[in-house]
Amino acid sequence: MRAVTDEQLIQWVADGDPSCLATLFERHHRGVYQFCLQITRHPAQSEDLVQDVFLKILRKAKTFRGEGSFKAWMFNIARNVALDHVRKNKRQSNEAIDDAVIDQHLADNRSAEQAAAGSQKMQLVMQALAKLPAAAQEVIWLGRFEFDSYEELGHALACSAGTARVRMHRAMALLNSTYTSINGAPIDV
Amino acid sequence: MSDKKSSDLPLGSEDAAENELWDTLGSIESTEPSTALRQGFYQKLEQASRPTLMEKLRALLGFSGNAGWLTATACVLLGIGAGQLLDESGGNGTDRLAALEQNVSMLNRTLILDRLENDSAGKRLRGVMDAAFVAGDDAEIARALLQRATEDRVHSVRAAAIDALGPQIGTPAIGKTIMESIVQTDSPLVQLALIDLVLRNGSQQQVDQLLKLAEDGLLFPDLSRHVLTSLKRDVA
Repeated sequence: MRAVTDEQLIQWVADGDPSCLATLFERHHRGVYQFCLQITRHPAQSEDLVQDVFLKILRKAKTFRGEGSFKAWMFNIARNVALDHVRKNKRQSNEAIDDAVIDQHLADNRSAEQAAAGSQKMQLVMQALAKLPAAAQEVIWLGRFEFDSYEELGHALACSAGTARVRMHRAMALLNSTYTSINGAPIDV
Repeated sequence: MSDKKSSDLPLGSEDAAENELWDTLGSIESTEPSTALRQGFYQKLEQASRPTLMEKLRALLGFSGNAGWLTATACVLLGIGAGQLLDESGGNGTDRLAALEQNVSMLNRTLILDRLENDSAGKRLRGVMDAAFVAGDDAEIARALLQRATEDRVHSVRAAAIDALGPQIGTPAIGKTIMESIVQTDSPLVQLALIDLVLRNGSQQQVDQLLKLAEDGLLFPDLSRHVLTSLKRDVA
């Protein structure tokens, strides 16, 4: 039996069947959670944000026009929810990231194998990524893990594919310089 | 991150360092959210959905109370309605049926995971029994079952979970944890259940490992004898 598309499911949600949201939740909640975790660096808050994102999807289902994929639309909602949260929560300010929170985040994101191998390069990359402004983090995260094309990334970021490409290259350049500044040398190639 | 971690868009940078950073980012391991996320979401979804359904039903039937029978009537009416809808809508109905089946299956999965973490030992035991049927196809449930098998404070739940894990002992991660748990457990009953599991379903390598544990005296004394006797009997 072929899988029902996300776009069909959100249409049914819009038609008044909220139970179809459960399927969308099961398909996508992990990706949204990882994205929120990257932005907030706080597991419990990220879980609350994921719930907010999906309830917002329920409320806004009728506004989905199908111009991009459901996934891009969903991540557009997720970034608004996550960035609102960051703006409201002064302690999460990107200018004053608490090192302890970064360490916690690093620990959360490392598997036992990585920890055992002492993956210093990975730690430094995560540390550098955490120090970037939220706008740079989101473009890198979504581009690296969620989308196959700049067009889809553009839909999620509410901009054109060309702008998404420019933002990605700026964000990666910033990540590179931040990594170099933390490490004291450029990344080994 | 989602399942399709490798399908990132091409960065296409001319800077080798940026490409290396991009590749390194790809090795980040994902973190699973806790089961509280699912619980919280489904509760909120139910709350968000319930008023609309009840309001519609009350308007339809002309009642204002919230008696249990009213909900039962609602279910019957919705069932009949869904049946008619599926009959009439052809291909679209098939898609919808697939979505409903998927929803039921996911809700069942959520129920099992919730039961496995319930405070009541009886409910955890029920969760273990339900999980036994699906653990082979669902890594998250298998992991939750393994946690019951190694950490549950009630021995009967641990023993039932160990039994349920039998068919999964060939999975590397589960097999490894089971072998480690044999030495770590402080309960002879649980150790016996683990030993029997290995003797019954374990690979030759796991049986050899068990034999070594028995010979090295790392098991409870009676159970070392049990292992040696069982294996001798098998050889004979």
